[in-house]
Amino acid sequence: MQPSRRAPARWLAVTAVALAAAGCTPQSVTEQGQAIYNLYNLFMYIAAVVFAVVSGLVIWSVVRYRRRGDELPTQTHGNNRLELTWTVIPTVIVLFLFVATLRAQDKVLDTPGDAQVNVTVTAFQWSYRFTYEGTGAEVLGGPDNIPTMVVPVGQRVRVKLVSADVVHTFYVPQTLFKRQAIPGTVNEFDLTFDKEGIYHGQCTQFCGLQHAQMVYRVEVVSQGRYQSWLAETTRRGSAGQPGT
Amino acid sequence: MATTELPLPALPEAHHEERGGIVDYLTTVDHKKIGILYIVTSFAIFLAGGVLALLVRWELATPGLQVMGENTYNQVFTMHGTLMIFLFAAQVSTGLANYLVPLQIGAADVAFPRANAMSYWLYLFGSLIVLSSFFVSGGPAAVAWTAYAPLSTNQFFQGTGMDLWIIGLAVVGVAGILGAVNLVTTIFRMRMPGMTMFRLPLFTWGVLVNQLLILFAFPPLTVVFALLFLERNFGAHFFDPTTGGSPILYQHIFWFFGHPEVYIIILPIFGIISEVVPVFSRKPLFGYRAMVFAFFGIAALSFGVWAHHMFATGLVYLPYFSIMSLLIAVPTGIKVFNWIGTMWRGSITLSTAMLMALGFILVFLIGGITGIFLASPPIDFAVNDTYYVVAHFHYIMVGGLLYGMFAGFYFWFPKFTGRRLSETLGRWHFITFFLGFNITFFFQFLVGLDGMPRRIADYQIERWTSANVISTVGAFLTGVSVLIFLWNFFRSIRRGEPAGDDPWEGNSLEWVTSSPPPSHNFHHLPEIHSERPAFDYRHRDDPAFAGAHTDPERNLDRG
Repeated sequence: MQPSRRAPARWLAVTAVALAAAGCTPQSVTEQGQAIYNLYNLFMYIAAVVFAVVSGLVIWSVVRYRRRGDELPTQTHGNNRLELTWTVIPTVIVLFLFVATLRAQDKVLDTPGDAQVNVTVTAFQWSYRFTYEGTGAEVLGGPDNIPTMVVPVGQRVRVKLVSADVVHTFYVPQTLFKRQAIPGTVNEFDLTFDKEGIYHGQCTQFCGLQHAQMVYRVEVVSQGRYQSWLAETTRRGSAGQPGT
Repeated sequence: MATTELPLPALPEAHHEERGGIVDYLTTVDHKKIGILYIVTSFAIFLAGGVLALLVRWELATPGLQVMGENTYNQVFTMHGTLMIFLFAAQVSTGLANYLVPLQIGAADVAFPRANAMSYWLYLFGSLIVLSSFFVSGGPAAVAWTAYAPLSTNQFFQGTGMDLWIIGLAVVGVAGILGAVNLVTTIFRMRMPGMTMFRLPLFTWGVLVNQLLILFAFPPLTVVFALLFLERNFGAHFFDPTTGGSPILYQHIFWFFGHPEVYIIILPIFGIISEVVPVFSRKPLFGYRAMVFAFFGIAALSFGVWAHHMFATGLVYLPYFSIMSLLIAVPTGIKVFNWIGTMWRGSITLSTAMLMALGFILVFLIGGITGIFLASPPIDFAVNDTYYVVAHFHYIMVGGLLYGMFAGFYFWFPKFTGRRLSETLGRWHFITFFLGFNITFFFQFLVGLDGMPRRIADYQIERWTSANVISTVGAFLTGVSVLIFLWNFFRSIRRGEPAGDDPWEGNSLEWVTSSPPPSHNFHHLPEIHSERPAFDYRHRDDPAFAGAHTDPERNLDRG
């Protein structure tokens, strides 16, 4: 009996681990996103325990207390001590999560001093323009032209986000961060990429007919390659691709 | 113990029994018939919204535009949200409330029967105005149900469809405010002698708090629609930054309505669950007063959390809106634990209504827990406006609202019609719905975490395909479950097993009268000794349960 009873339990455990792994966000490729990734995992652990306890209690009561006869069960109306307990415990949990949230938030939104790279990102229907401040370099996207924002690895990139028409967002899934581009407002935030690569970016705020086409790329390159790309793009004064 | 039959309240007007033709429904001021009209109309809108949802899922199953073009897709998902949120979710519970609240408080009708009829007809014609936008040139609005300015202004979105959308929804909003005045007055002023506030059934409490929320949340919605209409048609510049307007203003006013709207939708459902669980556990509701206070806790907090929809704007004070949103978990948790406390050591029957209630608790738990994630601004930065949010609020809206609504339908259908819905078909309905729903939305959490934005007609990223295919399969299974429900409904309304007046051994007053109730609701009313008048009435000759013994007001048998 024992092994056959354990086997389903093992499968259940494997499934649970797989689901928990699937429930994770992708690893972040920025310093700021790492704080979000850690915070998300903290929430996930606590959520898993809460879900297991509460759904376990529900299922247990249904199985254990099925109707077996006509006799009425004891007619209890409540229990002050119990009710106080399940008021206080969730309060403590959310206060703890709030403190963790504040600490992560400070790391995510921190914009200390001057950044090494300053990019003004202008979102418009339905693409982006990346203007590299103080260099004259500019990348302009359009229909059938997916723009690429080239940034150096390991350097603080300050994004100044504006919109030319309606509300859009700047969102690179692997940074775990997004911000709305709101007409009439300049939104500033920092991204420090710690891994080279090409990352998918996309507008997430519905912005009209071709919202689904409003994609871009962020290419994180070494600082040397970034400098040569910048020089090349500045010389041409318009959209350029990183040299190979 | 003998029960004293109370004299009936004076009848508002002469009633003719046994009418029920179409003319009668067109002219009725009877709260029960108006309730039925609300339920039938909103359910028809739900079916239309459901078809639109299936179109969305069909298009998204694989990359590329197969079923429709971008513009059509944008119209379809906009109208899906509009129909479901504005014209179905907030209205179906108003229908149930119309039918049940006067019965539960021992009244012959609502406080203002004619205004009640007017609410319904405003709601119907408002909805028809919104739906008429399908037939104008350019078609319906394609700006998402939130209609953020400046996208929804005439500078970026022309066409009469958008104006019909605004006008229709404004009319429905006025209907809601009028209905709220009516139901709140009814609950405060029309209770029978002995029906104190703390003896009200939890469904009536849920309706009271939900209608109070409508009174405070719908006027801002009307305002923002008025501003948008002026901007579109009369050259106003409320939301145009180039002339001193503010796009963010739209988001603030909209969500000041929009978040309480979630609780407007869900509070009556909490009430339904709080009726169904005690009856099928054969125990009183655990922690009645805490449940009532939790309603008010949720309602109060719901007006302080609107900007958690705006964390990604970078223009709101994050810690305040974060802590307020997190705190909503506390009263909501009280509710869930008290339902478990009610079932604990009970005598549980797994009727379809109870299965739906249990389904509600489990999926709402997932919806609630993921809501905690979204209340944390850094996590919200990652998942806001992705399919994670879509999955989250469908776990609340479909999971919460639909499970609760179906629990209520199976529970009260015998009262409405005198017949039971088939329990066998009910089980099939439950199983297909539970599977279909979870298959549809669970995988949206995963693809959302992977960065798939919401409201896109197409995607090029191949690894999002598998989750989308699974989700589409689940959506069609959910569609099948609704067909099973419809079959059950049409079969049972004609040939269902006769139910008698009190098929479930109910607790609240509606189970004392006949099924369906007479036009003036009660031929006689029992004395009220507790929050379970029908229970007391059934056990009137049993010394163990007679009268005040079970009265929570006297706090007799609390542990």
